[in-house]
Amino acid sequence: MDFALNEDQEMFRSYLRKYLDKVGQTKVAREFIKGNTNEFTVVMNGLAELGATAINIPEENEGLGLGAVDLVPVFEEMGRVVLPGIYLETMAFAVPLLEKYGTEEQKAKYLPDIAAGNKQLSLAWLEPVKDYSLDQIECAVKEEGETLVINGVKELVPDADFADAFIVVVRNSNDGLSLILVDRDDELSIRPQKCMDESRHLGEITFDEWAVPKSQLLGSWNQGVNLLEEGILYLNAGLSSLLVGGMEKVVGMATEYANIREQFGQPIGRFQAIKHTIVDMKMDLEMARSLSYYASWTLEEMDAEKQKAAVYSARAFATEAFIRLASENIQIHGGIGFTEEIDCHLFLKRARFYEHYLGSVRDYNELLASALGWNKNETSKNMKAEKVVHGQ
Amino acid sequence: MDFSISKQEEAFRQELRTWLEENLPEGWLQGNRELPEDKADYAVFLRKWQNTLYEGGWGAISWPKEYGGREATLMEEIIFYQEMVRVQAPPLINYIGIHMVGPTLIQSGTDEQKEKFINKIITGEEVWCQGYSEPNAGSDLAAIQTSAEKKGDQWLINGQKVWTSFGHLADKCFLLARTSTHPEKKHRGITAFLLDMNQSGVETKPITQMDGQQEFNEVYLTDAVAYDADIVGELDKGWRVMIALMLHERTGIGAELFTLEKRFDDMVAAIKDYQINGRPVMDDPSVRQKLASFYARFRGSLLNYYRNLTSTLKNGHPGPESSIDKLAVSELTKEMAGFMMSLQGHRGMLWKEDAPIDPVWQDEYLFSFGQTIGGGTSEVQRNTIGERVLGLPKDMGR
Ligand SMILES: Cc1cc2nc3c(=O)[nH]c(=O)nc-3n(C[C@H](O)[C@H](O)[C@H](O)COP(=O)(O)OP(=O)(O)OC[C@H]3O[C@@H](n4cnc5c(N)ncnc54)[C@H](O)[C@@H]3O)c2cc1C
Repeated sequence: MDFALNEDQEMFRSYLRKYLDKVGQTKVAREFIKGNTNEFTVVMNGLAELGATAINIPEENEGLGLGAVDLVPVFEEMGRVVLPGIYLETMAFAVPLLEKYGTEEQKAKYLPDIAAGNKQLSLAWLEPVKDYSLDQIECAVKEEGETLVINGVKELVPDADFADAFIVVVRNSNDGLSLILVDRDDELSIRPQKCMDESRHLGEITFDEWAVPKSQLLGSWNQGVNLLEEGILYLNAGLSSLLVGGMEKVVGMATEYANIREQFGQPIGRFQAIKHTIVDMKMDLEMARSLSYYASWTLEEMDAEKQKAAVYSARAFATEAFIRLASENIQIHGGIGFTEEIDCHLFLKRARFYEHYLGSVRDYNELLASALGWNKNETSKNMKAEKVVHGQ
Repeated sequence: MDFSISKQEEAFRQELRTWLEENLPEGWLQGNRELPEDKADYAVFLRKWQNTLYEGGWGAISWPKEYGGREATLMEEIIFYQEMVRVQAPPLINYIGIHMVGPTLIQSGTDEQKEKFINKIITGEEVWCQGYSEPNAGSDLAAIQTSAEKKGDQWLINGQKVWTSFGHLADKCFLLARTSTHPEKKHRGITAFLLDMNQSGVETKPITQMDGQQEFNEVYLTDAVAYDADIVGELDKGWRVMIALMLHERTGIGAELFTLEKRFDDMVAAIKDYQINGRPVMDDPSVRQKLASFYARFRGSLLNYYRNLTSTLKNGHPGPESSIDKLAVSELTKEMAGFMMSLQGHRGMLWKEDAPIDPVWQDEYLFSFGQTIGGGTSEVQRNTIGERVLGLPKDMGR
């Protein structure tokens, strides 16, 4: 039994933390919110220099050839400082899919650049007034000679304004789903969407007879459902770690404040209403951390059903818990907690950002239930969550 | 990360399995797990089981070989628990003797104490209980008033203990008594005695619990006798001995976590079969949602226990994080059992042989209220975690 990150992983964590402390922790996010994205770019370059963008990329594509568990410390540290950007989508969605299903040409085109920190990919899935159910995908692709022509609208695309490429979920002529790699282009119509978590940018992309070469098809035709299923497993394992990082910071903030803030002649942490609340936060944090470590571990060690149970339980638990913790943290800080001045609100907004990203807690609970074989023969057929994975 | 178990550990598991198949009471593996109703027969049955374990070499696996143990590793102890839970083995009547008193005496008892007590613990000849709590000293254990006074070569012990688990079955008691009434701090001036329960100065009265069982007791001490030779550690320094004794519980709440895991599986199996008004309850999305969130929490608790265990393996001893496990498992058990009560609707009120699914849920529900109190209440666990794990300021009065 050895259920812990290993020494290398912990050491890497300490480098990352030192670096992110040095650049001012949440200062990067705060500048980003003000519209100054330079610092963010500088920090992403710094992280790339440390190796963070190369971790799970194969050595033949100029990466470090490590695995999902090695990403855990990076996600946690980024979560701690509510770092902007699409590192998650890039490393935990695009990279595993490219590695497994990409052509040699696609790998050569994207992976070394990602490893060097020069490219980031986002995910264009959701369509206006729809949810993540796969039968609701209308964005269409047709083949015209050597090109693929896309028509449709995608919204809530993370960081649509600065992603270098998008993995776009499309429906093809024989009604199957496929994934297409679409490179960023200034001609592409992107409308920014206002997000409550202002440290994140969202965009609506309109594809109007948008042509890309045929070689941009990721995987084969109609393979989209399977690819998405695999991709969201990786992404959710990573997301759980990102949430854990945020939770850890929030528990730390609450603890520190409860030790220094005095009322009625004593630190407020001596009041059990406060102390016990923080302990319950800590309980949630440690549960979420164990679930998320395990989720990432199963990605390389276990079969698909075990992976799903591990990943979906981590995702569902951590999403809810982070909202709970971030809310309590504001309450514990009292008046100052309600202000923009200190960081409490950043974490709450980030927690809400992820609440429904790629599905809700409800959806993930249903996916978990079917992974555990609880709803074989009954009503859930009309549930959206089922369709996220099993498609049309 | 590595969740695998070694070849050696696997062999250990197989050896234990084979032994259990051959040595569990007749019919046990086939599902006939009735324990004798009659209290005297019950005690005889469990003592016999302890002795069977001993004779098979499984009586106290973590003890040194010279005392009849196997010097089992922490992982072997875990495997032992897992297997005992898997076959739902009879309860360990001498839990306190084997996990706490025995190891304490082996480590810091006198030669005479070792000679006198240790073998009888492992064989089940003498059953032990813990005499800490008193009517006015529960969470605030240092407030105990039971006194021990030296008269000639005897210590005369007077006072009352309460909630003493196994007290009615026990031959010996690991007892805390006040030996100094004017200590500079109230937890000084307490001494740990190895008290003989089979004497006229000790009177045990069973207390009926809310689940109808009688597992704990009031214990009245009227000039109960002990000798210098029965003191563990030093005079007035019993507090320290008690803390050390608790640390001997290396694997802590493990068995309860594995029980919770089993309960969770049983719960799902029961729900899969259960229908209300001709409709499978599993069809109800709110039931699935609840089950899914229980799944996440129990898996989280179990994995968290493994993470704490990993650091115990590295540090050689458990840390204050074990309070996290205790708090998680007891609260979750209570909630899960409560959910199973609600699920059964108005028929959930029926119990014992009339219970609609399986009386185990009604029993578990009632028993769970003891789990969030015994061994330190949930509030006290939260204080421990807050102060010792997170470093928050100390509760007033402590
Ligand atoms: C099933 C079971 C088995 C037991 N077995 C044994 C045994 O074998 N030997 C033995 O000696 N004892 C045993 N006990 C006793 C047990 O240790 C005590 O019941 C427990 O420590 C609580 O003490 P109390 O009952 O006096 O409650 P109190 O301490 O009076 O507590 C009452 C309430 O006040 C709360 N409270 C108290 N202090 C604080 C504080 N500082 N902060 C916040 N809240 C507080 C408690 O959490 C609780 O909610 C057993 C109890 C149970 C239920």
